[in-house]
Amino acid sequence: MNGSSSSENSGPVLGRVTRQDFVGRVAELDRVVAQASEAKKGRGLLLLMEPSAGVSELLRQTYDYLFNKRSEVIPIYFAFTRNETTAVSAAIEFLNSFLQQYIAFRRNEPALCHAALTLQDLVELAPPADLEWIEQLVQLYGRVRFSNDNKELVRFCLGAPQRVPNRVGRPFVMLDGAQLAADLNGGVMLGIELLRVFGRSGLSFVLAGLRRQILDAAHTAECNFELLDLLRLEQLTSEEAHRLVDHVAVRQQVATSREARDLLVEEFAGSPFFISSFLQAAREKNIALISYLDCQRLYVDELLGGHLHHHFEELLEETTPQLDKRLALIRVLWEAVVSGEKCASVDSWRRRLQLSANELDEVMHTLHIHEFVNWNGPTVDATTGSQPWKDFLKVNYRLAVLNEPRALVVADALTDSLKRAPHTMARHYKRLAQVDLRDVVTKFDCQQLPRVLFDYGSFSAKYKGASDAELFAGLGSEAEMLKLPQMVHVTSCLAFKSELRQVCEEHKCVVAHGFEDATYSDANEVIWLVAEVESKLEVDADVAEVWYDRLETVAQVFGFRRYQVWLIGNEGFSEAASTALSEHGAFCSNRRQLEVLIAQIGAVSASPVSTTHGTGDADEFLIVVPMGEDNELIAANTVEQIARRLTFQPAAINQIKTAIVEACINASEHSYSPDRKIYQRFRVESDRLVVTISSRGVVPTNVGSGNTNVTKTENDDAARQRRGWGLKLIRTLMDEVEFEKVDDGTSLRMTKYLRNSTG
Amino acid sequence: MDISSGAAVRSHCVGTTAVVYASDYLNKLTGEKIERECRRQLDSGCRALVIDFADTQLVNSIGISILLGIIDIAEKNGAQVVFSDVNNQTIELFDMLGLTRHVALAKDEREALSHLSGFDSTPTLH
Repeated sequence: MNGSSSSENSGPVLGRVTRQDFVGRVAELDRVVAQASEAKKGRGLLLLMEPSAGVSELLRQTYDYLFNKRSEVIPIYFAFTRNETTAVSAAIEFLNSFLQQYIAFRRNEPALCHAALTLQDLVELAPPADLEWIEQLVQLYGRVRFSNDNKELVRFCLGAPQRVPNRVGRPFVMLDGAQLAADLNGGVMLGIELLRVFGRSGLSFVLAGLRRQILDAAHTAECNFELLDLLRLEQLTSEEAHRLVDHVAVRQQVATSREARDLLVEEFAGSPFFISSFLQAAREKNIALISYLDCQRLYVDELLGGHLHHHFEELLEETTPQLDKRLALIRVLWEAVVSGEKCASVDSWRRRLQLSANELDEVMHTLHIHEFVNWNGPTVDATTGSQPWKDFLKVNYRLAVLNEPRALVVADALTDSLKRAPHTMARHYKRLAQVDLRDVVTKFDCQQLPRVLFDYGSFSAKYKGASDAELFAGLGSEAEMLKLPQMVHVTSCLAFKSELRQVCEEHKCVVAHGFEDATYSDANEVIWLVAEVESKLEVDADVAEVWYDRLETVAQVFGFRRYQVWLIGNEGFSEAASTALSEHGAFCSNRRQLEVLIAQIGAVSASPVSTTHGTGDADEFLIVVPMGEDNELIAANTVEQIARRLTFQPAAINQIKTAIVEACINASEHSYSPDRKIYQRFRVESDRLVVTISSRGVVPTNVGSGNTNVTKTENDDAARQRRGWGLKLIRTLMDEVEFEKVDDGTSLRMTKYLRNSTG
Repeated sequence: MDISSGAAVRSHCVGTTAVVYASDYLNKLTGEKIERECRRQLDSGCRALVIDFADTQLVNSIGISILLGIIDIAEKNGAQVVFSDVNNQTIELFDMLGLTRHVALAKDEREALSHLSGFDSTPTLH
């Protein structure tokens, strides 16, 4: 069912954006629309939403699609709001919305959906074919309304769609914000009533709300799960979130830079709610989001009094309506975040908050539902909330609990967020550029691979320096094969041993449980412990031993009976390291072996993007080359032609070329560039050539170190260090070398003076 | 400049000396090809290596680091290494990074072979 993805239909009815501007939920939209089909008749769809993942516009888009399609399906959308305080008032509002949208559809008058109409108005607007049953419904409502039986009234209102005659069509009800329904007063558990009424209605329906709550409600309502479908709605993928930022920024007329857009996606972890709110705030304040400073200034404003603040404040008020209790909660929550404790005692929270057991249960339940904490009864983990939530807690703790001066809190929040921005992006770029070992190992499923892919020593001896063709031909004739186990559970080592966080990233160290030959027996059970060791050179024996010990310790602590250690080093392992690991029975591979393995088992890998283009004015030349494939030579050859125009001597030209090659290699090797491009600007001046090499991504650690000179006495040691010479060479070969300040990545400006080279 | 790093490394043996020819751009890939060829020659019994840079117009730091690795390997195998026909710009780079302290340089292949035939004598440095 892909019809909803097309743009064949008319404009929005309930939707707040056009179909073209609704990005990032195409598959989900198709899935919700499919729920309205004849094939899904009588089945409910529970839309389980991660907090702030955004579901309302998805349902409104579904509504618009079905409205404009004009089929036998009659769409009904109802969003619970905080304005309704009781289950009865919410149910009456539902009845009103149902009739209004029903009549709007039947009359094909979208504007009726937004009109302020009484029940009597609706009866008068009812088409002749519907008049009889609608009149009966309204009369019955008048009787039930004053019967003093709230439960009966709620059920009557919610059951209204079942009264639509079959000959007219099939109502398809979409209920949004089920978590709010659960909090209403009035002695009726509306959330549970909703599931009971619609679960037994024989109609298709959608119930959307926070994932932790909806499933609980479905169990409490004793729903027949055979008649329920589930759709999990998580944050947008990075690609979808980027598209969302682009679209919303254009719609809100907010000027943004590429760097700022990337930062928003990462800071808000792809949350459509946060991204949209933030860009709306930028429009309201008429702020352009060009630099990191622009973004973080607005972010801090938002935390202290904007949409973000109101969102979190509202949820906190809902959790603890009393101000003193709320302040105490902020204190406990923030101190728990700072402590990093993952298993805090709930009892200690109760004492500190001075709440009864029941009151505490309610507070914990609400915090858990909104995923501000993970609560499992006796213990609670408050470290899992989103970054904006933690930032909100921190500023409120300092302002409301510690009573610190507002100016100081604002200044600290701004400087902290500015300092965090490059690290946030660096983590993102590294993730993009690197292989996620979890993805690789998850694909292990009894494939047979050449054993040499797990033995760097043998691989190096046979294939180092071999072309791809030679390598694949050689691997094809390898006799010794290794059969991979079937992996059944793969997770980061950090989930087993959080201390490892200090030495590696989550996706670079993996514990994988599996079975050899996919035979589920004790004898065949095996656990692989896999880690990627960071090193620009071959990993030496000492480092290899340290890593082997780390992983072996994990195996011993957790009682893994049979385990296999596999270490991966970008440039492989020294002979001594390979030998030592082999004696331990451990596997070791370099990046090339890993890439071949990935290709052979069909696992996911980071893939660079390649694009080239160029432009320039009279004295300036700009070229963009993709990283890799010796493309630095294109830049070197270009600069050679330009330098000749300035009559640089051949020796100087060679120095410039070498410096450019080194700058390009540095950009390719160290930047984790998201677009895998090198931007090169050559500016010709009367007495000099200025070359600027830029790339997006991570700032190398040696940038700004002030290490500008290389003396001859240093050279002997340097010669034995093998790598990391690029910048030293550049500084020696060029007359002036300077890193320009950019928010994202690096920009290296190198100048060569004509007089120096001709002298 | 005609640069291709995909071709195989040319080499030949003169007695127990292997002459290996570097290509026009010495980078990681071409450096590893040279390393592989040198290892192969040493495993075959060669006692000295001449790496000829007559075609080499541009080198980068990764290529130079691999050359250092080759010198190490040769040392472990008790073999001498001589670089021949290195252009001035490349010598300048080798010098900057201290490579010239660990290897003899010869004007061309013939001089390199002649130097190695004299064996224990001090290498001619340029």
